[in-house]
Amino acid sequence: MDRATVEKFSRGEAITVEVDRIEKELASLWQAASRGEDGSETRPIARAALWNLVIPAHGIDSLSRVKRLVDELAPAMPARVITLCRGWGQSLAGISATIESNVVSRPGGARLVFAEEITLAGDGASADEHHFGALVRSLQIPSLPTAILWFDASPADSLLSNELLPVSDRLIVDTGRCGGARELAAVCRTCAINRVEVGDLGWLRLAGIRMLFAGLFDPPVGGGPLAAASHVAIEHRGPKVASALLLAAWLGVQLGWRPLDAMSGSDKGPGIRLRFAAAKGSDGRERTAIVDLRPSPGECGTSGIVSLALDAGGPGETYRVRRTADNHAELTVPIAPPRTVKLDSRTDAELCVGALGPAGRDPLLRRVLPFAERLADLVAARGAG
Amino acid sequence: MTAAATTPIEIPNPLREGLAAERIPEPATMVIFGASGDLTKRKLLPALYSLTRERMLPGRFAVIGYARRPMSDDAFRAEMHAGCEEFARRRPVDPGLWDGFAPNLFYQAGDYDDPKAFVALRERLEQIERTLGLPGNRVFYLSIPPSSFATVVRNLGVSGLVPPPSAPAPAHFSRVIIEKPFGTDLGTAQRLNHDIHETLTEKQIYRIDHYLGKETVQNLLVFRFANGIFEPIWNNRFVDHVQITGAETVGVEGRGGYFEQAGILRDMVQNHLFQVVSLAAMEPPVALDADGVRDEKLKVLKALRPMPSSEIDANVVRAQYAAGSIAGRSVPGYRDEPGVSPTSQTETYVGLKFFIDSWRWMGVPFFLRSAKRMPKRVTEIAIHFKEAPRLLFGRRGGEGVRPNVLSIRIQPDEGISLNFGSKLPGQAMEVAPVTMEFRYGSSFGVEPPEAYERLILDCLLGDGTLFTRADEVEASWTWISKIHQHWEAKAAAQAASGAIELLPTYAAGSWGPEASDQLIGAGGRQWRRP
Repeated sequence: MDRATVEKFSRGEAITVEVDRIEKELASLWQAASRGEDGSETRPIARAALWNLVIPAHGIDSLSRVKRLVDELAPAMPARVITLCRGWGQSLAGISATIESNVVSRPGGARLVFAEEITLAGDGASADEHHFGALVRSLQIPSLPTAILWFDASPADSLLSNELLPVSDRLIVDTGRCGGARELAAVCRTCAINRVEVGDLGWLRLAGIRMLFAGLFDPPVGGGPLAAASHVAIEHRGPKVASALLLAAWLGVQLGWRPLDAMSGSDKGPGIRLRFAAAKGSDGRERTAIVDLRPSPGECGTSGIVSLALDAGGPGETYRVRRTADNHAELTVPIAPPRTVKLDSRTDAELCVGALGPAGRDPLLRRVLPFAERLADLVAARGAG
Repeated sequence: MTAAATTPIEIPNPLREGLAAERIPEPATMVIFGASGDLTKRKLLPALYSLTRERMLPGRFAVIGYARRPMSDDAFRAEMHAGCEEFARRRPVDPGLWDGFAPNLFYQAGDYDDPKAFVALRERLEQIERTLGLPGNRVFYLSIPPSSFATVVRNLGVSGLVPPPSAPAPAHFSRVIIEKPFGTDLGTAQRLNHDIHETLTEKQIYRIDHYLGKETVQNLLVFRFANGIFEPIWNNRFVDHVQITGAETVGVEGRGGYFEQAGILRDMVQNHLFQVVSLAAMEPPVALDADGVRDEKLKVLKALRPMPSSEIDANVVRAQYAAGSIAGRSVPGYRDEPGVSPTSQTETYVGLKFFIDSWRWMGVPFFLRSAKRMPKRVTEIAIHFKEAPRLLFGRRGGEGVRPNVLSIRIQPDEGISLNFGSKLPGQAMEVAPVTMEFRYGSSFGVEPPEAYERLILDCLLGDGTLFTRADEVEASWTWISKIHQHWEAKAAAQAASGAIELLPTYAAGSWGPEASDQLIGAGGRQWRRP
């Protein structure tokens, strides 16, 4: 192993290697990188990984996005990242492979923690899913869990279903990237048919607003206004209807509502109106709850949601979370003056770290996704989303 | 860990389901006694600000600072803002967030021993609760000199700020957080417990020890009881000895007067390090709740083998730091520090050898050392396992064989490491020690919360697991006070004879006196260099 290659590797630059020599080359490079210039072993290295993280990408642009994400992710979550790029756009005789290091300096110490990134690219016949599947299986670090980051909101294909999911423990999707109701329904179906744990970056982006909204009904307010809710308005950025549907699905699941129908138009013009059968009131009659999804140009952070407001029936009895500038939100409740709180916008890398942690196996999401799928189907059937 | 429900909720909030990981307490007011002091500015308000930032505090929450020094609300807010700017975990302070946080900070001046001032405080508190729609849940934080603990608690009762202990179950909670030191010996601790129990029930009292809020200390429970491989060897069949180190680089930092009365044994060992020992040595609790964990910790403290006076000098080493070097600069010796007597008998170093008389630990020596002006700041507990029963690797190969050591680093750079022997690559059968490491920083990439954040939140949630119970405090004092009594008797005898013997010294920046090496070295053991 020549010194220039080792230095290049230590700096995190990509090294092209033969596909069948990936592990050997990695071992040699780590060994060489742990030696000083004169060959003495002066820099002990800790190769660290908590996950095997497999990220399929399609095309150069998608790969670039994935690479940026992995660079941001590496300091927070040591993982062996295996990036699969199909649609390389260049004629390749077979699958090509590069290896890179992700180096993290430890505070207060000279030693470093290293993780590694393997990129496999192919096009046409060389990108056959069987090749990718076999390579992933051979490159998984034993006894570590494996997560698939299905970064693009495209429906499941056979690479995911046949090759990757059978050797995975967790599937991470991003409903926030869904362009509309149909795509959301397809992603929800992908999550439903598999027995792996499911994390959703879109769901995690909604965590802040869900938590703030839920907090409005903590004691002494309690759940009374939720039980009496007649109308909910969700304002969202125009293209983010999938996020609004997911939020509506959360409310529907938590409040025990049953979807009835969907139609175009909201109480204030454009948008989507969802009708739900709510729990029976004290008179024994089933109530109807309306959820209006309205496009809005307001502040939305990365979640796509501008505001969430619930009318509890009485005049002025509105409970609202509205996103304001600079990652803040204004909370409005009938019994106290409005107040401002922090509402972070987490980066995709931070969300990925969350999805690789306990938040990536949220049982509530398991219940919300099928509900969201039903809402998305209703909306898509009406051609409304 | 479970939170005790304190307030009946008529209609539950269904949207909270699934957000269980984010524990949000009920709306409440926190009154901080000693609000003009350093702890409030450096730790308490930054912790409350961070909790607000993390959205872990309820939507309605107020803080009233109380101290003798007259100050307006605005001046208090400005002082706390400066404190957060300097000490909060995430800086700079978010202006938008502060604008929402600051209006809920108030200040009330008053003496700690004036019942009328407490009536005025109650009236102000009730008025703030009415204005902000707060339901009447109250936490009183006693960040004040220990001599005022009992007085303040009594005045809380007399003024009606907390209901009498005989009152029927109140609709709203009243809790009191008490900072250390909780007593200076067994007698004072018992008296203090007795005095405050006249106003408060034990469940209302949260004796804070910030060590218990540290992530690695809590991880001790997870490490031991969530992993099947360690607990079977966590006993006298496999463990040779245990070392606990609590080292600081700082000296007395201008608090010579206080430290002269305390000494390192009171200041660090009776509370922080004995809590660490009890968590490391306890049996599995029946449940991970406040009393389940504290019952087991108490058993450890009660099982500390009593040390007769005749054995104390052989098993306890004490010393004072002499002039030396820390971080490249010269520092004075302890007896040259301001506020310290030139003939001081107060220890800045203590090394202990003790045993825990339980089935699990019978015969396993525990070595504990704690000191100021050591070469580095580190707190750790290290489990030294017994050697393999027979060395197979010959004289040369066996040279690298060391007993396995599992060390749990509490601060800084929290984590766990395991040392074991490995064959050196090559033809010869040579063994070298290697280390497997886990570090919070590199494995999780997240900054753990400050101990005070965790502990304040737990108190608001009614979870006393990480707070010290009255019987634990008394059990640790029972053991520690014997040592103090022995030292006091020696000092009295010396004073009577006129032959005052100064304590041995160690150079600042060294790992302690030679006597400490002799204390541990009797069985061929030696202190770790952490």
